[in-house]
Amino acid sequence: MAETKKVLIKIKRQAGPQEPSRWEEFSLNWRPSMNVIICLRDIAENPVTSSGKKTTPITYDSNCLEEICGSCAMLINDKARMACSALVDHLDQPIRIEPLTKFPLVRDLSVDRQFMFDSLKRVKAWIPIDGSYDLGEGPRVSPQVQAKGYPLSSCITCGNCLEVCPQVNEHNQFVGAAIISQVRLFNIHPTGAMNKRERLEALMGPGGVQECANAQNCVKACPKNIPLTESIAEVNRDAWKQALLGWLLG
Amino acid sequence: MSATASQSDSSYLLRKLHSLTGVLPVGAFLAEHFWSNSAALVNAPKYDEVSRDLQTIPFRPIVEWAIIFLPMLYHAVYGVYIWLRGKSNISSYPWVGNWLYVAQRYTGLIAFAYIGWHLYTERWLTHGRSTYATVASDLQNPWYLAFFVIGILASSFHLGVGIWNFLCKWGLAATAKAQQAAGRLGIVIGVAFGVAGILIVLSFRLNWHPFASYYIPK
Ligand code: HEM
Ligand code: FES
Repeated sequence: MAETKKVLIKIKRQAGPQEPSRWEEFSLNWRPSMNVIICLRDIAENPVTSSGKKTTPITYDSNCLEEICGSCAMLINDKARMACSALVDHLDQPIRIEPLTKFPLVRDLSVDRQFMFDSLKRVKAWIPIDGSYDLGEGPRVSPQVQAKGYPLSSCITCGNCLEVCPQVNEHNQFVGAAIISQVRLFNIHPTGAMNKRERLEALMGPGGVQECANAQNCVKACPKNIPLTESIAEVNRDAWKQALLGWLLG
Repeated sequence: MSATASQSDSSYLLRKLHSLTGVLPVGAFLAEHFWSNSAALVNAPKYDEVSRDLQTIPFRPIVEWAIIFLPMLYHAVYGVYIWLRGKSNISSYPWVGNWLYVAQRYTGLIAFAYIGWHLYTERWLTHGRSTYATVASDLQNPWYLAFFVIGILASSFHLGVGIWNFLCKWGLAATAKAQQAAGRLGIVIGVAFGVAGILIVLSFRLNWHPFASYYIPK
């Protein structure tokens, strides 16, 4: 039998936020349709480096394995991607894997995206439907609004758009494209529109929509092909109208 | 991100003001400046008439400071502040928009350095009384010529990209299609300014006046 094909993969490891980082290389048996998560699982089964040294399984986040939960974003060959949809056959080897750099590190490839969840709370990225009494039926959502909202609703909060944005960094509190796009989603919904003003005002504070500098990396990096640059433009327009006309006309 | 220095609540207003000043009045002044200086393409007397008209406007210092110097200074200073709070990543993501993001910062800086020197040599040293002759004699110096060309190209590029940024960032071009169209508009404006500026410089340098026949003596 011919020798089995190998997959070379290098992983940046770090035991904790304050610990030093190091690279480990693994040589895995190739399998058809192999993706990066499968590589990480194979390493967990047999945590031995390519030089034969025993090591520990790699810490990483994943859940759905079908690009829908958003937890497996990492740097794969220097680019922010979802590990579960990154096919080994499409990647140059040795494949280099690193954690996202814009979020606090937990361990190895696992990062803490709390900043995004806090930002979603800050902009009230939800539609209030509960009251202390029955609020009755909401207004109907037109097919046009549904069509516009559907792609926006597919955001998985993976953080790739923040990772690739030059305006998201330690000097800047910019909330990033995903959050702005969620504001658009909830603002176009007829019930959500009742809180439109609050959402826009939250986005006109520090790190708000004004921080976008139009590099347009977000829309290229989004695994869900969400029209993020359109969302930013539209929310930007609503924001300055709110700022200007709110003050002029109430 | 989580452990950030807190940013002021006025950052929205200041940022919008930066964006706006880039187009109005700074970009508009650039257009006016190229327009006035294109008088050189007619001839030296026409150029001197246009300069004299500009040099004798009432409230000249107030107009200059309010419409040109202060907005430009604000745009430049705040532009550097914005620059310092971004972190470019073109080596990982060498995409067009990302390149333009970086180029926008360097061309802004080059434009500012050029404009500072240009003001010093063509306004300060001539006490606000430049003429065709003073500019033409400066442009005989090859270093002056080179700096003029670099400054003009940097400003034109910066304005072209800036118009695209402005239209996207104020949501005036919101759909992907509209943003592409805004990009094409930016290219047209950038190229038009670059070409016009170079032609004006050549006019001084080579004593070349393609529209001399238009001239009507006063
Ligand atoms: C030191 C000089 C300058 C610096 C450092 C500078 C910097 C910048 C920066 C960083 C941006 C991007 C802003 C953003 O992404 O939000 C920008 C935008 C812009 N600049 Fe400048 N600039 C300078 C001079 C000029 C000059 C001389 C002009 C006129 C030709 C100009 C016109 C514009 C325009 C139209 C924009 C677009 C505004 C927008 O992004 O919404 N700038 N500038
Ligand atoms: S594991 Fe859910 S998106 Fe990759």
